[in-house]
Amino acid sequence: MNGYAGRILMVDLGHNHIETISTQEYIAPFIGGRGIGVKLLYDLMSKDGGVLEGEDVLVFMTGPLTGTLAPSSGRIDVVAKSPETELLGGANAGGFFGPELKYAGYDGIVIHGRAPSPVYLAVFEDKAEVRDAGHLWGKGVFDTVRALREGDQDIQVACIGPAGENSVNLAGIAFGLRNYAARGGLGAVMGSMNLKAIALRGTRGVDIAEPDRLRDTAERMRERIKAMPSYREFPEWHYKLFISLEEDGKSFFGNYESTAWDERFEAYESVERFVKHAEFRLETCFGCPLRCWAYMNVEGIGGANVIACQGTLPSLVNFTKVKDLSKVWEAYLLCQDLGLDTSGTSAAIAYAMDLYSRGILGPSDIESLELVYGNADAVVEMIRRIATREGLGDILADGVRKASQRIGKGASERAVYGKGGLELWLMEVRPFKGVALSAAVTDSGSPNRATYGLCEFYYRTMREHAQMAARNLVGTEAAAIPTTYEHKPKLVAMYEDLHTLADSLGVCSIPFMPVGLDLWAGAYSACTGMQISPKDLLTVAERTRTLERLFNIREGTSRQDDTLAERMFREPLDHGPWKGEVLDRGRFEDMKDVYYSLRGWDQEGRPRQETMERLGLR
Amino acid sequence: MENQRQGVDMARVITIDYDRCIGCKTCETACSLVHEGRINPAEARINVARYEQIGVNIPVTCHKCEDPICMAVCPQKAITFDPALGTRIDHSRCIGCKLCIMACPMGGVSLNPTSRQVIICDLCQGTPECVKVCPEQALEYVDSGIWSQKKRREAVSKLSRFLEETIQ
Repeated sequence: MNGYAGRILMVDLGHNHIETISTQEYIAPFIGGRGIGVKLLYDLMSKDGGVLEGEDVLVFMTGPLTGTLAPSSGRIDVVAKSPETELLGGANAGGFFGPELKYAGYDGIVIHGRAPSPVYLAVFEDKAEVRDAGHLWGKGVFDTVRALREGDQDIQVACIGPAGENSVNLAGIAFGLRNYAARGGLGAVMGSMNLKAIALRGTRGVDIAEPDRLRDTAERMRERIKAMPSYREFPEWHYKLFISLEEDGKSFFGNYESTAWDERFEAYESVERFVKHAEFRLETCFGCPLRCWAYMNVEGIGGANVIACQGTLPSLVNFTKVKDLSKVWEAYLLCQDLGLDTSGTSAAIAYAMDLYSRGILGPSDIESLELVYGNADAVVEMIRRIATREGLGDILADGVRKASQRIGKGASERAVYGKGGLELWLMEVRPFKGVALSAAVTDSGSPNRATYGLCEFYYRTMREHAQMAARNLVGTEAAAIPTTYEHKPKLVAMYEDLHTLADSLGVCSIPFMPVGLDLWAGAYSACTGMQISPKDLLTVAERTRTLERLFNIREGTSRQDDTLAERMFREPLDHGPWKGEVLDRGRFEDMKDVYYSLRGWDQEGRPRQETMERLGLR
Repeated sequence: MENQRQGVDMARVITIDYDRCIGCKTCETACSLVHEGRINPAEARINVARYEQIGVNIPVTCHKCEDPICMAVCPQKAITFDPALGTRIDHSRCIGCKLCIMACPMGGVSLNPTSRQVIICDLCQGTPECVKVCPEQALEYVDSGIWSQKKRREAVSKLSRFLEETIQ
């Protein structure tokens, strides 16, 4: 079979039974990756299926371009019901695991049931078996990966750290020593299955329908990637990103109290000094020229791979206001090793610091930790306690919204999150009406999985680029202006579809738009031998998006769940280019009306009968 | 400089700049696609040894030795030497004994796990695909006669930078 491995591994951990199913029937309607993942989850998970109670289904799914010559094709999509939102959960990771899975002969792995004791799944070529992981349980990600690579450094590993073992809702799934399917608590799902890791190695490869066409198409794609403004910036992005967030008016600090922090420029300088003095080597994911990653090593603290992304170091710095970068680096290494989502964990700690400063958490809650902004030691210790669920860490481990419900005493009013209670991404949402809409209507709760790179993001610093993107996608430059509500529903729907396609084809969403849908469609045809047009691809995205919505409707959500925390509607920004901006409830609801109707959903956000029939759903 | 020497007979080699490699493995996928018509790093003539724990990526391929040990040990005389393209393997003579793989000190020879044939880089008959696709120019296809002299000048410039920084 061209482009695909053709088989999906089905692993029942409860009965130690492994079988395969054919990928074939899922290809035409859902393409791969996220699309097929959501379809399998929808079909296999029972209605109201409990989360972390042995009924979970966890799907790892590559796309038809994963592991091919198409650039940036190292991606794998992971879906399950999220323990944090108790709705659809999903995260996408780069690296080298996805390609290796295909080379072993599988498009994906579906795991269900709970093993009676800790195990790992070993996949070597087409031989898959469940093995004892007693010796790995309790180990951090770094040691787990090292142990499983003993004897063959090319083994690819997906694993959880202690955070996932302890059912921490902020736990992600690590891929090797670097990439993460970080958000939504998928690591906790893996932990509750008693599944410590998946180790795999494959040398069977992938058949390609039209090799010469793929070569030509891939070359044009790489050229377009190298023409991206970010391509030139990325080698220095690890510190420039902080300034860029500031210039775009996306920064905020602490628990959303302010868009200014007196010492922020000092912090940015400290980041720059730190990066420039570290042992530093540029890195990248499979097949990708972009080099978003670097290996950094600092004597006395340690070395690790880190992505220049607001979810990593900027989250730690801006949320917790720690300026001492050696401590930030220590905190980052700890998150990577314990298996935590750096972004959500930083947000949860900042939330606790805010509560303590207001007396909502008292001295007895914080157990001798001086839980105040800027206290690096408290941040590091809190990360440890979250992963091990000790004291206040046990409460924060549930994520901001659930923690707020357990704390009570007005804690809910301070909590900030998006759909379902997932902590927002590190960017201010109040001025960016499209991002706000996206964070509310997206079904995985994660706006960056839905619309990362929305042209609003860079309106201040790259206005012409932002306007051009808006014009191309929705026909008007005005759609790029962050603070306008008009045109946003259409813009969000378009970005959602493009993200869904990147995640379904098995490629990275960062270069997805600059490369252009025509070339991705061309690469798909070259790999698989099946003709597909950009329009057909967009229909697949729409189908997947609607099925995501149906999953959550089955879980009981309706229009009122498509929202953000109350503070985003009540507290205007205090500083900076968007001073005074806040979300207007009426206009926000109007955006939802338009968005639903563009999607063919009714005013409760439920897909209409004719929409489901048109998309062939149910 | 390369262009000015056009038409001059020369033996060329693929050089590897270890500092530049970012570990994307595009060389592997491109190599397998060109030679085997499919994607499989295990079937490629070049592989990147990735060391994630220290962030180091080392592409490994045939070095086109001047006095190839793979050729010397081959009991079937299946490996021959071409003045322009270096070692090449004649699959009609090869019996798959793997002596060449064992003997090569560079890890430059390997066994295609699908076809069960020994594979050695053939420089794509003079237009190596891996060099063409490398996004960081970590791989270059250069005249082996003058390349080592270029390296000397590069070393001198590195040394002068080091001295400047150290003396300051």
